Amino acid sequence: MKRPPIAAVALGLLAALASLIPIGYLLLRLFEGFEAALAELARARTLELLLNTIGLTVSVSLTALAIGAVQAWLTVRTNLPLAPVFAVLATLPLAIPSYVLALGYLSVFPSFSGFWAAWFTLSLATSPYVFLALSAALISSNFAAEEVARSLGKNRWQVIQSVTWPQVRPAAFASVLLVALYTLSEFGAIAILRFDTFTRAIYNAYRGSFDRTSAAALALVLVALTLVVIYFERRYRGDRWQAPTAAGRKRRIDLGRARILAAFGLGIIGLFGAGVPLVSLIGWSVNQTGFDLLRLGELVASSLAVAIAAGVVIGIFALAISVWNLRYSSRLSGAVDLTAWAAHALPAVVVALALVYFGANLVPGIYQSIWLLLLGYLILFLPNALGLVGTPIALVPRSIEEVARSQGLSKNAALTKVVLPIALPGILAGVALASLTVLKELPATLLLRPNELDTLATELWQATEVLAYSQAAPYALALIIIAGVPALALNAQARKLISEVS
Amino acid sequence: MKLRGALVLTLLPILLLSGCSAEDNALLVYSGRSEALLGPLVEKFEQESGLDVEVRYAGSAELAAQLLEEGENSPADVFLAQDAGALGAAAKAGLLTGIPDEIYSLVPSGYSAADQSWVGVSGRARVLVYDPGKVSELPVSIFDLEDASWQGRIGIAPTNASFQAFVTAMRILNGDARTLAWLEAMKVNAVIYEKNGAILEAVEAGQLDAGLINHYYWYARAKDVGQAQMNSRLAQFQAADAGNLVNVAGVGILNSTDAAEQFVSFLLSETGQQYFAQETREYPLVEGISPADELTPLADIPTPAIDLSDLDTLAETLELIRQAGLI
Amino acid sequence: MPLLEINDVSVSFGDTEALSGITLELESKQLLAVLGASGAGKSTLMRLIAGFDSVGAGSIVLDGETLSDTSKTVAPEKRSIGIVPQDSALFPHLNVGQNIGFGLSALSKEAKAERVRELLRLIRMEEFASRMPQELSGGQVQRVALARALAPKPKLVLLDEPFSALDAELRGQLREEVRQVLRAEGATAVLVTHDQEEALSLADRVAVLREGKIIQVGSPSEIYNSPADVGIATFLGESVLVDGTVSGGKILTDLGSLSALNNVAEGATGVVAIRSENFYLQPNPTGDSEVVGRVFFGHDALVEVQTPKLRIRARSNGPFAPEVGMRVTVWVRGAVNFYPSS
Repeated sequence: MKRPPIAAVALGLLAALASLIPIGYLLLRLFEGFEAALAELARARTLELLLNTIGLTVSVSLTALAIGAVQAWLTVRTNLPLAPVFAVLATLPLAIPSYVLALGYLSVFPSFSGFWAAWFTLSLATSPYVFLALSAALISSNFAAEEVARSLGKNRWQVIQSVTWPQVRPAAFASVLLVALYTLSEFGAIAILRFDTFTRAIYNAYRGSFDRTSAAALALVLVALTLVVIYFERRYRGDRWQAPTAAGRKRRIDLGRARILAAFGLGIIGLFGAGVPLVSLIGWSVNQTGFDLLRLGELVASSLAVAIAAGVVIGIFALAISVWNLRYSSRLSGAVDLTAWAAHALPAVVVALALVYFGANLVPGIYQSIWLLLLGYLILFLPNALGLVGTPIALVPRSIEEVARSQGLSKNAALTKVVLPIALPGILAGVALASLTVLKELPATLLLRPNELDTLATELWQATEVLAYSQAAPYALALIIIAGVPALALNAQARKLISEVS
Repeated sequence: MKLRGALVLTLLPILLLSGCSAEDNALLVYSGRSEALLGPLVEKFEQESGLDVEVRYAGSAELAAQLLEEGENSPADVFLAQDAGALGAAAKAGLLTGIPDEIYSLVPSGYSAADQSWVGVSGRARVLVYDPGKVSELPVSIFDLEDASWQGRIGIAPTNASFQAFVTAMRILNGDARTLAWLEAMKVNAVIYEKNGAILEAVEAGQLDAGLINHYYWYARAKDVGQAQMNSRLAQFQAADAGNLVNVAGVGILNSTDAAEQFVSFLLSETGQQYFAQETREYPLVEGISPADELTPLADIPTPAIDLSDLDTLAETLELIRQAGLI
Repeated sequence: MPLLEINDVSVSFGDTEALSGITLELESKQLLAVLGASGAGKSTLMRLIAGFDSVGAGSIVLDGETLSDTSKTVAPEKRSIGIVPQDSALFPHLNVGQNIGFGLSALSKEAKAERVRELLRLIRMEEFASRMPQELSGGQVQRVALARALAPKPKLVLLDEPFSALDAELRGQLREEVRQVLRAEGATAVLVTHDQEEALSLADRVAVLREGKIIQVGSPSEIYNSPADVGIATFLGESVLVDGTVSGGKILTDLGSLSALNNVAEGATGVVAIRSENFYLQPNPTGDSEVVGRVFFGHDALVEVQTPKLRIRARSNGPFAPEVGMRVTVWVRGAVNFYPSS
């Protein structure tokens, strides 16, 4: 009878309880004004919001999938010129906060707004998730099987459909899940681009009319949507096939004359995903007068400290849950995993206010301290890390652990000495992604941070509130540069493997 | 080994940051006004009073939402907000303990909460900024802007709190139906901007004929480039028109300690009031203190008769603005 | 006319010439083994035949149709050439039956099912139709891979070191089965391997590939008994190399005067390769050689003998192998191959 390590269970339960805080808070608010909440939901406006939200989520998910898949395929499997450069370009939007992206486009096209603007911005902002996942999946998929399929009469396109896709499908679904949930909870860019989704309505309810009941009602609809999305993802993602180590070197497909076209296409995507906002920022920075380098240094230090701390904390919890759920899985571990995801689509403001309530009224000792802030980040971003950490852990064959046990190692020692080192790249990737997301985060940071703590993101916000774009730009650039580090680290794993493909 | 290293790596930044958690200060202020603006004033206060002040900076609305969640257990002593709506929400939730008589009486009634829950600190007047080269006939009433001749020539910022406060005033004065009609006309006529500052820039650059903004944007820019260099001009609407609304940035006390009252007094002192007058070109509200020279005196602005506390019925206003399709 | 013709094919990758001047022929229903060490170019040749790479020079013709030459390369899916790769590469998301039937989309549902059943019978895995590849053992996986390649009745089957991942016992067993299956299907096959036992036991013809060139082509016994050079001689089977000089039609060596298998030039000096099984160790208390070591395998033994001038290893019958310390006279049975040095 396999019993999971105590530490894993303890941390997993803790994370699940943390994720239940915002949901509990919402239910509390809901029952305070049950009728008002129902009335809010029954309005025609709510239906309009629902259609907008679903429409945006579905379209962004499909577009991000298409973009990420094309980028992954071209950089990993073909003889695209400068493939590593395009891989970096594809990852770069990850380092740029979505509201900065939106502002960047807005400065070039002042009338950029509405559904199409939101769709465009968010698709570009989220495609790196898909790109990273699919690159990794393509690299580790069985290449020889594709050649066999061709020998059996399938042309290139049929091979992709019948052999490649089934192998990368779990990665595709997992990353699209992240994209969908991100779109559901996204606020910054949507507000700037003036498109009405549930999240925007929730923010307006909190900030404009201070109507917490209707906000809670709307937020609970979001949670319901999350559960629906997660259900579909789990149902249709397919099983993870343990990819056998494909012997022999991998080959790149020759694109022939299409090489230039492909490079051009990827270049355009990269231009919009990263080029336009960066150029705008640099343009604003140039107009900057009286720049305080010392302040920038302070902010960089505090942003990094917070992001790294959060990343490591999230990484540890993600590791605990992954180990528990993937190697000693039970009903309880599955429930813990699901709970961690359920809160993922909640807008940051909801989670933050829930923690404000929780902190101020129930646990004042940690209120407005770094611990509460870290807790907020944990609730918000744990799922980001779960996927990345989980994949390598799932793929470590049980037999390796058994061999270690037979050599006299205790269960915990087998885990730490054998499984973890193999899973380390995934763990580091999870930490990197979590740190990156924390660096960019704004609404929860504003609400939960200790009073005197400023980060690049909060400073950036202060400046944009008063339209001081020139002032904001250097901070935004600094933020992107720093965020670029973990983003490139995430990409480096894929790149290293790409360059090994001859 | 690696695990231990990782744990140390985590704890280190956390320990460094823990130093940032709330210390036992004399005073905790929640400020909806930016650090760039308020910081120096707070420093002055600390020097003069010898008290330690900790400030939490965020948006007025976010802070109000935070206060509502914190409820009775809020650690904040003072709430300084950029608009009356946020203060009204805090007051409605019973979080404000009320301003002492001697401080409250410094500011003329009409610029503070009628129930003495908060007091105004500086005034923000709604104005029409216009390009004199392009606008020959000024609108007399705010409703003149509904005319087809204004199509594409007038700029507004519907997501801005000041605009929303002004629309709320219009609702109170003229009723919901009339307000909706005006908003729908704006949907046809107006060019939408995110911020007041953007409207001013557009008019200055000749891209826009006129716009509805707050007065201090114009004066702040005039201070920078010189009033003679300004292309645009300001104008008011007819007496008691909703378009003349003077909103206030105000302050409320959550925890009535000596320190809190001292701070509020400081904001309404000569030093504090002059600071706002000079730094942002807002209107000092305390009687006897003059605004910056170039401003129209406050008494000369034909404001509508409104209890600013009522401006917190923002939900319905937002609903109308959305209905008109402006946000 | 031979089914497969490879005419003077060369290909380079970057600066290195991977294959040069490859010329091979294969008759229908025969199995050709391409034997070579790692890096010799075997996989490259396979990929050229299968159509995954293009030739730099020369042509590949299958059943009268030119599949590859310098002007064109027919796409792999149009060649009717099946492949069994080194790691089998079964489709992990399909079960055994679906794997085998993968290339049969041109058939009707019934015809496809019938053909899959037929192949399952042939590889003796009838009950495994709905198993998933992860559930199969190493040998089973290779059998399914073979069945999958044969299902659409290809003109040619390529096997790329198909047994290298398996253990010795399984290998032998599987080899036999594979040969039977190929014969039953009447398939023409090219097998690429570094294992000489495999090549010799399975093939009708063997081609030895070294550093991108074909050194020798022939039947297994030709290759084994008359290796074209010292390299091949030592690559195949255990050999002893002894210096020798040709004199009077015989080769004079430190092991005595030996008869030559091949034509030799009078007076030439060179090396003679003697297979260990060609030694006969005659127990002789007054013999000039002494047994200094012995490895006993049961059915035979490898005996190390110190002659006056050399140390040799000879194979001997198990039960009758000389013990360590015994004195023997060393004889060489039959004629040997002489390789002049120059």
